[in-house]
Amino acid sequence: MKKLMVLLLIISMLFIVVACNNNESAADDQEPGLADQPQDNQEEQPSWMANYTEDMKNVSLNVYSVSDITHILAAFTEDTGIKAEVLQMTNGEILQRIKNEKDSGNVLADVWYRGGADAFVDAAQGGYFMSYESHEAEYFADYTKDENNYWIGTTMTLVGFVVNTEVLEDIGVEVPQKWDDLLNPDLKGLVSMPDPAISGTAYNTVSAILQTRGEDAGWEYLEKLIDQVPFFTPRGSDPTNFTVAGESAVGVIAAFGERQMRGDHNPSIQLVYPQDGTGWWPQPLAILDGAKNVEASKVLVDWILSEEGMKKISEMDDVLALREGLEVPEHLYKLEDVTLFPTDFQANALERDSILSKWEEKISAAGH
Amino acid sequence: MKSKLSWIKIYDSIIILLLFYFCSLPILAVVLYGVTSEGREIGPNQIARILSMLKNSLSIATIVTITAVILGVIATLTLYRVSFRGRNVMRMMMLLPLVNPAFVGSISFIMLFGRRGLITYKLLNLNVSPYGWHGVFILQVLVFTTLAYLIISSGVRNTDTSLEEAARNLGASESKVFFRVTLPMMMPEISVAALMIFLASMADFTTPLIIGGSFRTLASDLYIQITGVYDMKMATATGIVLLVPCIIAFFLHRYISEKKRYHSDLSSHAEITYQNVPRWLKYSAISLSSLTIAIFVLNFCFIVVGAFTKNWGFDYTLTLNHLRTALDQDFNRLLKPLLNSVILSVITGFVSSLTGVLLAYRIQRRTIMLPKFVDFMCLFTAAVPGILFGIGYLVTFKYSLFGIGQFVLKGTQPIILLGTGIIIYLICIARSINFSMKAGYALLEHTDEDLENAALNLGASKTKAFFWVVLPVLKDAFVNSYIKVFSNTMTTLGAIIFLLMPSNKVIIQVIFQAITGANIGATAIMALMLSMITLILILLFYLLAYGKSSIDVIRRKRDENRITELN
Repeated sequence: MKKLMVLLLIISMLFIVVACNNNESAADDQEPGLADQPQDNQEEQPSWMANYTEDMKNVSLNVYSVSDITHILAAFTEDTGIKAEVLQMTNGEILQRIKNEKDSGNVLADVWYRGGADAFVDAAQGGYFMSYESHEAEYFADYTKDENNYWIGTTMTLVGFVVNTEVLEDIGVEVPQKWDDLLNPDLKGLVSMPDPAISGTAYNTVSAILQTRGEDAGWEYLEKLIDQVPFFTPRGSDPTNFTVAGESAVGVIAAFGERQMRGDHNPSIQLVYPQDGTGWWPQPLAILDGAKNVEASKVLVDWILSEEGMKKISEMDDVLALREGLEVPEHLYKLEDVTLFPTDFQANALERDSILSKWEEKISAAGH
Repeated sequence: MKSKLSWIKIYDSIIILLLFYFCSLPILAVVLYGVTSEGREIGPNQIARILSMLKNSLSIATIVTITAVILGVIATLTLYRVSFRGRNVMRMMMLLPLVNPAFVGSISFIMLFGRRGLITYKLLNLNVSPYGWHGVFILQVLVFTTLAYLIISSGVRNTDTSLEEAARNLGASESKVFFRVTLPMMMPEISVAALMIFLASMADFTTPLIIGGSFRTLASDLYIQITGVYDMKMATATGIVLLVPCIIAFFLHRYISEKKRYHSDLSSHAEITYQNVPRWLKYSAISLSSLTIAIFVLNFCFIVVGAFTKNWGFDYTLTLNHLRTALDQDFNRLLKPLLNSVILSVITGFVSSLTGVLLAYRIQRRTIMLPKFVDFMCLFTAAVPGILFGIGYLVTFKYSLFGIGQFVLKGTQPIILLGTGIIIYLICIARSINFSMKAGYALLEHTDEDLENAALNLGASKTKAFFWVVLPVLKDAFVNSYIKVFSNTMTTLGAIIFLLMPSNKVIIQVIFQAITGANIGATAIMALMLSMITLILILLFYLLAYGKSSIDVIRRKRDENRITELN
């Protein structure tokens, strides 16, 4: 009987091994569509090809991201023949992973694209990024880049209000246009905002308000805002969901310069960028220090920053590209149309702990 | 003989070592990692905060456990002891929440019962917010009632009814029979179900995150500390506090189950029904169970609605667009993760259930070394929130030679588990083995060791005794465990996020990330595809396990019906 159990266990162990192998070979079998072979004999070769070599086609890049960028990577593979796959996680999860992967000397990902500016500043300070200045970077304004070239901003993220006009009509409140409009007593309990300790959007908002209004007036405003919000949501996407579902009338969210909310929506769902200024950050892009495919990663960075790459990303995702000299499509706001809060990302990241501690005090004082 | 014995000892040591290595070590590692990593100093404010969340966690886990177990007992008795039409269908439907990703269920629930919910607002004109502790309570009860039902019903199918008959013949009233005989006989399953639900509720972070509002539990706060505040120290402190009540619950359960042991000499698969139940009791039991099932079905159907209408929650025009978009998608985005999930879940379900149930048998019969220690080691994996366990794996297995290499082979990297596919399987098995063991215990409590000995005395060989007496019971435990582990691996996220690679990501992670206001229909269709595949694979497995007998039962039922119709 014991023998039998040993046998069963051995069989089950074998099963795992076989299955794992299957799994891996399944991953290998599947080839991405290699469409156009890049033609390197012509003088009009695309600008992203500077670091490109033929043997990169055997490379498969691993990309970490906080959003689903499968379609962007598919477009990259189509242009270059370099495979790239994404794994989506939250900022905190990515930070934990890159920290531990670096410690073990077994860096699994090559590139981190999209996430919170504070998380990127954090990782850059920790020494987890490789400094790389792409030749495409000259088309990007200085305020969108890290001064040591650890990361570079690609597209714009703006703090905006998502509003449900149906709910607003019910309670007889105008569509809020300014930050102070959120303090309307009729909106009490109907404003939704993520927890700044968790969400980059919310932290950015809080720190931008403190930076523009000054310490005292800033905290005074935030205290009033805390009273308006029934609870601070644990995920950045919650306020959108709540507002679309009618759970709240206004949600503070991260938007990308689009005029209308993406996707099929109830027409009563609208997007507003506060007129008196708003928080913002560039969607960052960085190569990880110790990455296994450094040269191919450079091509990915070059491609994303190139004119073709930025155009494609801007079109596919409805996002405002930061590359200068690009034509802005109709359905996006131009950068000049939006008032931006002056923001210091280094200071943001440095003051994070102290701001969040104070925030926590205010929250518990308000009885949340 | 002697050499055989020592072989078993070596084999046992290997098993114990493996269990320690993959179940306990990562937890010790993460505690060490958290304590030594940077973070805010833990002052009196933090302690007060942790204690208030401990109160939240404990109160929600306690009332959820009590409610879910009571509902599970009622559902079991109704569906197995009261005869009425349609109960076979209802038995299947009780399992619906298992195949549903919990967070998609929550969204469906919010759209039905939220402030602008279809039922609460549009139909009943109420303005109630589902956010808060009551939302967490309702959603957890919905999910865990199924778990209670799964465990408890497996026991009812294996209890001996002759004791009940005896009590009745001795003149005991029906209620006395129930409270003095039936219920005590079900205690092994009930206590196991209670323990498992308590642990699962304590460790559940998704429900409080989605619907808790400002109500935070230890587990949800721990998730926030890691993903948002990046404070491992605080997270570890929270995790340690979370473990204390879980360990207490574990010892409490062991104490109770050792004090009261109920054996029966016979275990029968016969369908037994109560004959002398008062009408009002019968119908209120049926209606309560039907209500539970109705909510399951409603919640599930609403996901189907979301998948096939234009805009879930607002525009209910029928459309196939979401399906078409989903099927048109890049292979890497949907089908490959789906395939990865299926392979992972089938293997995890198989290995975990087999090892777990066999281990349970050997621990029960005390034929393994250090049985209590083995049992205790496996507890932690169920009591620790997935995210903490995942980080434990990350910090343990990032070094070569399965984690020991950091001390021996500095600078080399021959066998690093991190980044391979195997580690995903290992963590899933480690996390579910506790459930498999508990499923085994619950049923083994009913078979007396004497029965096995009797078979031996009657001349059966050891192998034969095992196959005739123990295996049928273990098979039921295996099936239950497989269903739960398989569907759990398919539909829950947590531990593996730190170990996945872009090439082996799983569907549940894709769905979890896809939930934003912009593409809720796409989320619904993906969740639906996941549920349907899980359901189909469970049914296939059921047929495989009980194929012949289940067909026989159906045939017999049909014949019986014919006979009654003829009469």
